Amino acid sequence: MANRWNYPDLGCGVGLRTKHYDHILTNRPPVDWFVILSENYMDTGGRPLYVLDRVAALYPVVLHGVSLSVGSTDPIDFEYLRKLKALAERVNARWISDHLCWTGVAGLNVHDLLPMPYTNEALKHTVERVRVIQDFLERPIALENPSTYMEFRTSTWTECDFLGELAQWADCGILLDVNNVYVSAFNHGFDPLAYVDRIPADRVMQIHLAGHTNKGTHILDTHSDHVVDPVWDLYRQVYQRMGGISTLLEWDADIPDFDVVHAEALKARQHRQSADRQAAEALEANEALV
Amino acid sequence: MKLWSDPGLARTQRWMQAFILADGDDETALAAAQVQAEIAKDDALAMVLPSATLTSLERVGIYRDMYLGRLGEALEADYPGVMHFLGVEAFQSLVGRYVEVYPSRSYTLNRLGDHLPVFIATQTDLKNREFLHELGRLELALTEIFDAPESPVLSPEAIAAVPAEAWETARLQPIAALRLLSFGYPVSEYLGAVAGENSFPKIRKKQTWVAAYRNNFRVHRLDLKRSAFELLEAIVSGASVGTAVSQCRVSQRQLFEWFRQWTAEELFQSVAVD
Repeated sequence: MANRWNYPDLGCGVGLRTKHYDHILTNRPPVDWFVILSENYMDTGGRPLYVLDRVAALYPVVLHGVSLSVGSTDPIDFEYLRKLKALAERVNARWISDHLCWTGVAGLNVHDLLPMPYTNEALKHTVERVRVIQDFLERPIALENPSTYMEFRTSTWTECDFLGELAQWADCGILLDVNNVYVSAFNHGFDPLAYVDRIPADRVMQIHLAGHTNKGTHILDTHSDHVVDPVWDLYRQVYQRMGGISTLLEWDADIPDFDVVHAEALKARQHRQSADRQAAEALEANEALV
Repeated sequence: MKLWSDPGLARTQRWMQAFILADGDDETALAAAQVQAEIAKDDALAMVLPSATLTSLERVGIYRDMYLGRLGEALEADYPGVMHFLGVEAFQSLVGRYVEVYPSRSYTLNRLGDHLPVFIATQTDLKNREFLHELGRLELALTEIFDAPESPVLSPEAIAAVPAEAWETARLQPIAALRLLSFGYPVSEYLGAVAGENSFPKIRKKQTWVAAYRNNFRVHRLDLKRSAFELLEAIVSGASVGTAVSQCRVSQRQLFEWFRQWTAEELFQSVAVD
């Protein structure tokens, strides 16, 4: 199923990380696409921007941010948006994404993806902000379901329904982080598959996969390890339901050699092919029965 | 049973941020005046759902736990020398006190540490505070150089094109990614030791001079003699080559060697001839 903006399935991408700069520029590995953390490239005239320009000349680049603070009750930071827009134009960004969260109020930034209370007030507030942001950027953005560690009793929406309503009313995209669905499902005790089923597939621009850290009582979204099997299973379910969608493997802490990260990303392709085979076999079996 | 009312989005966010930033353990933070000014302790606990394995306080406390760790990581990356000198525990303590005074007000963590050297200078309980302040100054300069705009580089052809008689009044423009720093302690040597380039110096007063710069997108430090520092400082300040050299009492051979090294290291972007 194509998304409503006809953004292409770019395949399996990885994040552009400082540790891998030399490897990428020297070896030009066959990566489908790269994601950059937008804020790391906004205020530098040094090596990061030099490397980014070269990467953008060779590969499709997508911008992913952590400071849009779309749910904050602070005023929108238009200086930030101006720089984000300029960066997107500079690298011909295929699209721009951030998170369904807030990162600070009263002029401060705690640099975390803080959870929203999923209320009508929050929905209306966030819809209005996303509209303004998209008007400024002159393009739709995708918002990612965050990993969360707490829930507000005040919430009157589930997260998946809040995100779906937000996407519809603000006319924005969804970045479906499959690992985050798994993490939050573990932390809050909901069914991850039911969550995915509630997401409007035609608004999903991109998918994220990542490793996490299971602390026993809760899971932290650390992006520091391989993707666990239950997350791959969920990814296959998403693929069977939504079709091929650009998929990013995130590995942001304890980052191994580039080839290890890339190999993990390419597992997504194997899971897609395996899911296709399963579907074909099931179809054949059904036809044989008929 | 207590009737629950939604405090609204703005107040909820102010409360959660105040809780994350408050001092002490989770219980202390929850009870802090500035946190309760937004939402009273019992109401706040009732607002957060417990899970099957964690209490309401433990759940929201996860965000507090991560806050200082994340900011600490950013400052560690910018101040490896200060962290090496203090050790992990004392550095984390410094980070906690620092971000109370200078919390992030930016969308990026890249400039979170801009006030750390100034802050260190005010921390009277720090051992070797003057040394640490200077080490911080050097590390801050290196972060600025890392992100400075890229400049064109003065080419050998451009140098060769300047007539010999024109050098007297010529002015050299430095690259944007150049900082000249003088210190009362051997902080560049200390930072070199942290990076495994040399052995650790004794921490005692010693005048040192450093040119910190970026070449081919790598940040470097060049230790200078006082006379070389003063000459380079005069040139960077806009003095003509002739004026700067006239104030410098060294041999022509030494002058030639310095200029050869500085141009090879690409410290200048252009030469203006009157």
